[in-house]
Amino acid sequence: MAGQGIERREVLRILATAAAAAQFPGFSKWAFACGHVGNGAAQIKPAAYRPQFFMAQEYATVERLAEMILPTDGTPGAKEAGVAEFIDFMVSRDTEVQYRFRTGLTWLNAHSERAFGQPFVELTPDQQTAVLEPLAYKDKARPGEEDGRSFFKVVREFTVTGFYTSEVGYKALDHPALKFYSESPECPHKDDPEHLHLSRTS
Amino acid sequence: MAKQVFDVIVIGTGAGGGMAIKTLCEAGLKVCALNAGRKLDPEKDFRYHRMPWEMKFRGLDDPKHRSESYGYMDNEYTKAAWEHEIPFTTAPGTKWMWPRCFAVGGKTNFWGRSSARFGDIDFRAASLDGYDVDWPVTYDEIAPYYTRVEKMIGVASTAQNRPSNPDGSYLPPMNFRCIDRILEAGARKVGVPYLHDRIAQLTQEHEGHPACHFCGECTTGCDVGAFFSTPYFLLPKAEATKNLELRTDALAKNILVDDNGQAAGVAYIDRKTKHEVEVYGRAVVVAASCVESSRIMLNSKSRHWPNGIANSSGQLGRNLCDHLYGETARGYLPQLLGQPSFPDHVSDSTIAWLPRWQNLKDPHEEKFVRGYALYPDGGCADFPWYANDLDGFGSSFKKEIKRRFPTPVTFGIQAPSLRSDTNYVDLDPEVKDPYGIPVARLHFQWDENVLKMWEHAKQVSAEIIRAAGGVVEGAGEAPEVPGYSLHETGTCRMGNDPKNFVTNRFGQTHDVPNLYVCDASVFLGCTDKTTTISILTFSLRTSERLIENLRRGEH
Repeated sequence: MAGQGIERREVLRILATAAAAAQFPGFSKWAFACGHVGNGAAQIKPAAYRPQFFMAQEYATVERLAEMILPTDGTPGAKEAGVAEFIDFMVSRDTEVQYRFRTGLTWLNAHSERAFGQPFVELTPDQQTAVLEPLAYKDKARPGEEDGRSFFKVVREFTVTGFYTSEVGYKALDHPALKFYSESPECPHKDDPEHLHLSRTS
Repeated sequence: MAKQVFDVIVIGTGAGGGMAIKTLCEAGLKVCALNAGRKLDPEKDFRYHRMPWEMKFRGLDDPKHRSESYGYMDNEYTKAAWEHEIPFTTAPGTKWMWPRCFAVGGKTNFWGRSSARFGDIDFRAASLDGYDVDWPVTYDEIAPYYTRVEKMIGVASTAQNRPSNPDGSYLPPMNFRCIDRILEAGARKVGVPYLHDRIAQLTQEHEGHPACHFCGECTTGCDVGAFFSTPYFLLPKAEATKNLELRTDALAKNILVDDNGQAAGVAYIDRKTKHEVEVYGRAVVVAASCVESSRIMLNSKSRHWPNGIANSSGQLGRNLCDHLYGETARGYLPQLLGQPSFPDHVSDSTIAWLPRWQNLKDPHEEKFVRGYALYPDGGCADFPWYANDLDGFGSSFKKEIKRRFPTPVTFGIQAPSLRSDTNYVDLDPEVKDPYGIPVARLHFQWDENVLKMWEHAKQVSAEIIRAAGGVVEGAGEAPEVPGYSLHETGTCRMGNDPKNFVTNRFGQTHDVPNLYVCDASVFLGCTDKTTTISILTFSLRTSERLIENLRRGEH
């Protein structure tokens, strides 16, 4: 990436804020904003969180679903990013979605009881996976589970949104917006315009 | 007390008004500028360096308020910038999605920055294909003004030597990213140009303005002023002359006339006191943006002008044109799967463009007349939107999201609607704003020609992605709703014949010589290019004409 790492960003920050400060009134905010990487102070601490919309069992189910969708698997997942809190907070302010979550969670528990005799959160991880797979994969879909599939889609969308708008999610992607650049970044593969010979990193 | 008479009253401080204000003040004229909204405070109002998790709703805005949003730009990043108090209405059957910025600087605070010149292919389009009428200007006479504007604002691009988009004087271009190189190779195979956009984003320090720091959040407002906006580039110059009195929260209501029906000033509502105030000038410049300017002029009824000021032609508010926007293809580039993330986001709109290539040799080569441009986008952007189209969950799902991060590509179209008698703005006969002023009512449908461009563009965009080795996954189901581009033109068209046009070739109204129009409403329509740089250019020319006329004692 043409050497444009985080340290370069720091140098640039000093240069650019100095230049900007000479002329522009917006300077103080900009300087403040530059300090935001690694500053997680604004995040809600999971331990202190009290659900605003979901009831206890519903919340536990949402938490479990989010963790299964984006698991902690050597790299941080939904749990570390506080995704369940995000979902509860956003749903608490959106009556239309509240209905979908409440009916969806009811469907999921009824379905889990039918299959394994317990509500979803009480099932073993393998049983939970067995419940979700037909909802999540097109080629495993089963007739009669349409409501469950559409609910799972909503939960997954909220989980993806909550995770990838969090600092944890940005770091997971190595999101380029975590750095600034002193010049317009340029493709480093000049001899390979079609990019057919890139080495595979993963 | 003798009543104060300014040399010029300017309504609006966006691209058109800002340029007029600066030009007039620097010529020593006393200017009173009216701006319908407040001054933005970059410290509070620009949130572009805030990360999503530093905002209460992650930038998505409060779901409770989403139904009140005017659209994609009206979000948590720029919450306070958009107008909600003054409504507009739409005729039955018309859809119009329309965020309006009434703050000082208008839409230049958040614009997309693509800045290509119009050319003779646009000004003489009617002679070429027989549709509508030519502009009353030639490229040769406008070109020197474009050059001066480019120097003022700083535009990054390359010389491209193409008939559809004349070259200007440019800063070094934004560099091509991996996605650009790949799509460029694909476009070459399809026989379509893939070039550096003309972009008003400073790739180096320019005229005292700092170079861009490539944070990629331009359209939420840049508080170092590394791209053109009037509050950073033009208004400070006007203020330095001490000739400017800027009145904010001053909502223009109507243009005042004297006993001869000539412009005498402007009546406005002071939105803080709710009182009506009059301000007088030797000349008036209307630059409130296309639709709002028409609304003010249509509301300026008097015994001289029963149908609105300067409307003896009946063309005021007519001929509304707009750019059709929409996603013509989306897909991904497998070559980049699993590659390290790359700063593809450094300009949040345009690094490359595919300038009009249709109907160049023969104006009737295609099934439509005129032409459109495409803008590519993609790579490691703000959010992995493609995740919702993937299958599954768990570690494999998470891994696939990361693997796909550098790969998405999309194309967006910019296509001009054709002038039509059925697309226009009038005053709503019933609905009034909270100050009792009739609001603008929009009548608009996409025409068959522009919808043919949309279909054509969908095909070509998909072909380019495939030719680049990519996978096409879909396209927008339909074009965006009209209004989305914020590129309205045509409601005060310029032309030599007073019977058919509102203004003359200098933007001076035929009926009221001391009333000038300095926004995109004087354009004959949209082209395949964006409008802002042309608004600046025509406003500069009109303002200098006004100065000359004042000096000659004509007003």
